[in-house]
Amino acid sequence: MKRIAVALVAIALPFAAFAAPESFTIDPFHSHPHFQVKHLDFMYMTGRFDKMSGKIVMDTAAKSGTVELAIETGSVNTGDHEKGPRSRSRDEHLKTADFFNVAEFPRMTFKGAAARWTGEWPAAIEGQLTLLGATRPVTLTVENWKCGPDPRTQGKRYMCGGNASGAIKRSEFGMKFGIPNLSDEIRLMIGIEAFRDQ
Amino acid sequence: MNDLLNDPAVLGGVAPLAVGLVLAAALVRVRLAGLAAAGAFLTAAYLMGSLSLWPPTATRKFMLLAVIAPALGVIVDFAFKPNRAAGMLLGALFAVASVWVFWSVLVQRPMGEAIALGGGVAVFVLWLIAFTMALRADALRTGAIGLALGLGTGIGAILGATALFGLLGTALAAGSGGFLLVAMIYGKRAAGGATLALSVSVISALIAAGALVLANTPWWSLALLALIPLAARLPVPEHAPAWLQAIVVSLYTLAVAAAYCVLAWKFAA
Repeated sequence: MKRIAVALVAIALPFAAFAAPESFTIDPFHSHPHFQVKHLDFMYMTGRFDKMSGKIVMDTAAKSGTVELAIETGSVNTGDHEKGPRSRSRDEHLKTADFFNVAEFPRMTFKGAAARWTGEWPAAIEGQLTLLGATRPVTLTVENWKCGPDPRTQGKRYMCGGNASGAIKRSEFGMKFGIPNLSDEIRLMIGIEAFRDQ
Repeated sequence: MNDLLNDPAVLGGVAPLAVGLVLAAALVRVRLAGLAAAGAFLTAAYLMGSLSLWPPTATRKFMLLAVIAPALGVIVDFAFKPNRAAGMLLGALFAVASVWVFWSVLVQRPMGEAIALGGGVAVFVLWLIAFTMALRADALRTGAIGLALGLGTGIGAILGATALFGLLGTALAAGSGGFLLVAMIYGKRAAGGATLALSVSVISALIAAGALVLANTPWWSLALLALIPLAARLPVPEHAPAWLQAIVVSLYTLAVAAAYCVLAWKFAA
């Protein structure tokens, strides 16, 4: 009887773990926000921010969750960081007051909550993006979200991950330089992996 | 039409020059031609979508001061008889305001760096306003200061800082150029007064300071630009017609601005 009870507890433990909100910390080495801007109305150029940190809190039983992301605007990277004979590279220009104004706004943040769930995983996040001192609502669609043991640690570490995507109009945040040659609409694609806090 | 208004040459040159010319010509008889420079600058700012006040970023606080400066200039011209100390007093006022403009950036820097940067900007603003205000009675010299400071800060910003500040600088130069053209015709009857002197000195000082604080242009850029009001004091042929005097004094000030642009280009490259 005692053995059966222990076995039941052991089986129930992973499920019990989801009964309460769980906190996750973003893995900075595998989580990056990417963006796409249409250049001269011909093609989408892609860039990313190399540094992002944040926290996720999820309660799958209650189907609720929150996410907080902080993105270092100075880590913007479009693959053009050597100025050569020009007065500056594209990445340097992106850091100026024409775009991200890194000196004044070194960080942009996103604070949101899971608004829609598909099965046991979040499918959409509604939140507020703060960029250049302006805060505007943004909805991100979540794809491929899943949680499970980290295979690199033989299951000792538990993690979640997936992709979130959405779009913003940069002019709504006061970033108007270069419109329409550089599109007003910016596509956002954020890849996230996060480890459960011990 | 939208394509035309998005063209940098129109934004930073043609449109502000047209506004500057029209304003200077229309207001010269009521002694408000000095509004040409600020009018041209604010037109460019409006066309570039920079003329909003919220959220209060450094650039938007700068825009607020760009509106206040000519308004204060009109008050000084019509309500007071400013003495020599007026330039210093107004310079000190805008020096404090310039620290307020860049406060959100300064507080993020280490204490020593913030004090050096904020103090340097304040001294530069005070200097530029005081020395430009001292020449406010001479429309040609004040216009030439605005032309050179606008071109210097504008081209310097395009090379080393931001295109936005660059176009705003060239717009100020275009407006000052518009005033100068009218002043060439009207001679001493064209009064720039404190309206023009405060407009060009406050706006150009904040463009240069913005490039320094927001884009880390070298500190000596401010020192070089500070020489422009001094260059405008060099002698001109007193009995020559106004148009010739305007050209001579503009050559003095533009020579300093050109030196600054060459150094800015070399530093950037």
